[in-house]
Amino acid sequence: MADTAQVPVTVLTGYLGAGKTTLLNRILTEQHGRKYAVVINEFGELGVDNDLVVDTDEEVFEMNNGCICCTVRGDLIRIVGGLMKRRDKFDGIIIETTGLANPAPVAQTFFVDEGVKEKARLDAIVTVVDAKHLPARLADSNEAADQIAFADVIVLNKTDLVTPEELEAVEARIRQINKFAVIHRTQRAELPIEQVLDRGAFDLQRVLQMDPEFLSGEDDHEHNDDVSSMSFEVEKPIDPEKFNAWIGALLQEQGPDLLRTKGILAYAGEDRRFAFQAVHMIADGDFIGPWKDGEPRTSKIVFIGRNLNRPRLRRGFEGCVAD
Amino acid sequence: MSQSTQPAFLLDSRGTHRDLGAFVVAARFSRNGKTAAFALGDGSVHLVPAADPAIWRAARVHDGAALALAADVDGDGFVSGGDDGLLRRVGADGSSTDLASFGAMKWVEQVATHALDKGKGLVAASVGKVVHLFDAAGEKLKTWTHPSSVTGLTFDGKGKRVGASHYNGVSLWFVAAKTDTPRVLEWKGSHTAVAIHPEGEAVVSAMQENALHGWRLSDGQHMRMSGYPSKSETLSFSRNGRWLASSGADAMVLWPFFGGGPMGKAPMELAGGDGVLCTQVACHPKEDMVAGGFADGLVVVADIASSRVLPVVPPEHGKITALAWSADGGRLAVGSESGFAALIDFSKR
Repeated sequence: MADTAQVPVTVLTGYLGAGKTTLLNRILTEQHGRKYAVVINEFGELGVDNDLVVDTDEEVFEMNNGCICCTVRGDLIRIVGGLMKRRDKFDGIIIETTGLANPAPVAQTFFVDEGVKEKARLDAIVTVVDAKHLPARLADSNEAADQIAFADVIVLNKTDLVTPEELEAVEARIRQINKFAVIHRTQRAELPIEQVLDRGAFDLQRVLQMDPEFLSGEDDHEHNDDVSSMSFEVEKPIDPEKFNAWIGALLQEQGPDLLRTKGILAYAGEDRRFAFQAVHMIADGDFIGPWKDGEPRTSKIVFIGRNLNRPRLRRGFEGCVAD
Repeated sequence: MSQSTQPAFLLDSRGTHRDLGAFVVAARFSRNGKTAAFALGDGSVHLVPAADPAIWRAARVHDGAALALAADVDGDGFVSGGDDGLLRRVGADGSSTDLASFGAMKWVEQVATHALDKGKGLVAASVGKVVHLFDAAGEKLKTWTHPSSVTGLTFDGKGKRVGASHYNGVSLWFVAAKTDTPRVLEWKGSHTAVAIHPEGEAVVSAMQENALHGWRLSDGQHMRMSGYPSKSETLSFSRNGRWLASSGADAMVLWPFFGGGPMGKAPMELAGGDGVLCTQVACHPKEDMVAGGFADGLVVVADIASSRVLPVVPPEHGKITALAWSADGGRLAVGSESGFAALIDFSKR
C-alpha cells in the first residue's frame, strides 16, 4: 500500500441502538490483518475494541464563505492531520457519528479542507437502521431521513424483530428516500465486512450503472419535506462549461435541499470519465479512468434531496449537451 | 538553469542531518541551548548535543505519535505531548517521566512553556477543550475550559498571560488571576493557531478560511489579513514585533506591525516566485531575519531589510514541517514530513 495514496475514510451513522457499535466491533474483529484508526464521539456501553481509538466531541462550525449550509467538523480536520503523522500505522479511518448527527458536516469536511483532501478520501457513508424502530424515527425528525439520504450503504439491522411484511414495508420506505444506496438486511449487524469497507469509486459507478428507467419507477413523492432521489442520463457528450454553469447555479440556488449529488460525465473531446459529487453547495470533481473501448459514453447524474423538480432537473441536464 | 548558477546550500558546509524515518512534528532547542530535539510521528524524541552534533540519541517517549514539543522551563530538557494522553518531560540523556496523564484516548495537542527567574517557570498543555497549567515542579495550578477544542497555545513575552485559539476567537487567560475569567477576543469562525506580539500589543490568529485575524489589545481594534491561497499553519513575530511572518502562500508573508500597520498595508513577500507553498516560518531571535520552509523541502533564511535570501536546505527531503532557532540565534533546526532532520550552524567562526 503506497504511502502517497489517500487514506479511505468510512463514516458510520445511525441512531443510538440501531447497531452502529456492534457493526464497528464486527469490522474491527474481522479486519483480516488490516488496521483502522477509529474516531468515536460518545462512549457506548459496548466499548470499542481497537488499538487506535480517538475520542472527540463533534465540533461543527460554519465556514465564512458566504455559503449558508457549509458546516464542517473542525475536530475531524485536526484528528485527520494528527493521524497522518503516524500514517504507516493504519490502513483506513472509521468515523462513528452520534445518533442524531446530521451527516453533512462530516461529508463536507472531506470536500472543503485542503489538508484533509490531500491525505484522505471519503470512501463511503454507512448508515445502520433498526428495522423495527425506523418508521417512528422517520416520523420524529429530519435526521433519520438525512442519514438514509446520505448513505452509500444501508445496513437494515434487527430484521429478526419484524415480520416479513414489515420488513418489505420498511425497505420500501428507505427506497423512497434513497434509491441508490445498497441495502443489506442483517441481524446483529452481521454481514461480510467487504460490503462496508473500501467501496470507493465502485459505489459511484455501481450507482450510475443502475438502469435509470428502473430507477425512475414511481417516485413522484416530491412534496415538501420528503427526501427523494432521481437520476438522469444523456447520450451526447457534455460541454464542461455549460455543465459548470448549470450545476453551479443549481447548487447555489437549491443547495440546502440537495443533500447529495453524484455524476459521471462524458465531456466532449475527452477520453477520461469525469466524476462529480457534491454535498449541499460544496462540490468536487476529478477525472477518473478512461472510458472502455466500445462502452457507451453516457453521462449520468443522481440527485438525493428535498423538493426535487424532475422536469426542471432533466431539462437543465439535457441543456448541458455540447453543440 | 545552468550548473554554474546552482546556489550553494548552507546544509553542505555548516549542517548535520539524519533520516529519522518518521514525520517530524516539531523541533526545539533547550533553554540553555545545549541540546536540540526533534519530536516524531512514531512517538520518539531525538536529542542532539550542541557540543557534539555527530551524536543523535533516540528516546522512546510516546506510545503513538508525538504531537507537540517545547523546551522545558529550565536547563537541558524538553516537554512533549502525545496522542497517548501523556504530557512528559524528556531529559537530554533520553530519560523521560510523566508530567501528567490524561487518559488513553485524550490527545495532548498543544504544549507551551515559559521560563521565569531562578529555574522557575510554567508549563501549559491542551487536551481537547481544556488547558492545564503547571508550575516547574509539575504541580497543577489551573484548569481552563474553552467552548471548543484548543488549536493553538502560547504565553505572552512575560509569562503573565496565555492565549488559546478555538472556534470564534482567542481566550486570553491571566496566569495570576484570582478568578479565572478570560478576556475573549471574538471573531466568528474556526481559529487554528495563535501568536502574541512580543510587547503585548496584539494577538493574531490563523483561520480556516486562509486568512489571519488580529486584535489590537489596547482598544480591541480588529485586524484582517487575507489573500492567502492556503491555510497559515505557522505565525512568528520578529524579535521586536515589527513584523509578523506567516506561512500559507508561495512566499513568506510578512505583515508590518508599525506605522499604523497591518491595517491598510500590503505585506512583504520574501523568497517567493517559484510557486511552491511556504509551510513553516520562524523569525530569528536576535536579528531581523526569518527562516522559511517550503512544501518541496527547500529551507531559506531571508534578511528582512534587504530581502536577500540565503539558501539553507535544498528541495530534496519532503515538505518542511518543523523549523526552530536556538535562543542565541546561532543554530537552526529543520524537520520534514519524510523524516529528514537537520541542524545548521549560523554562528561566527
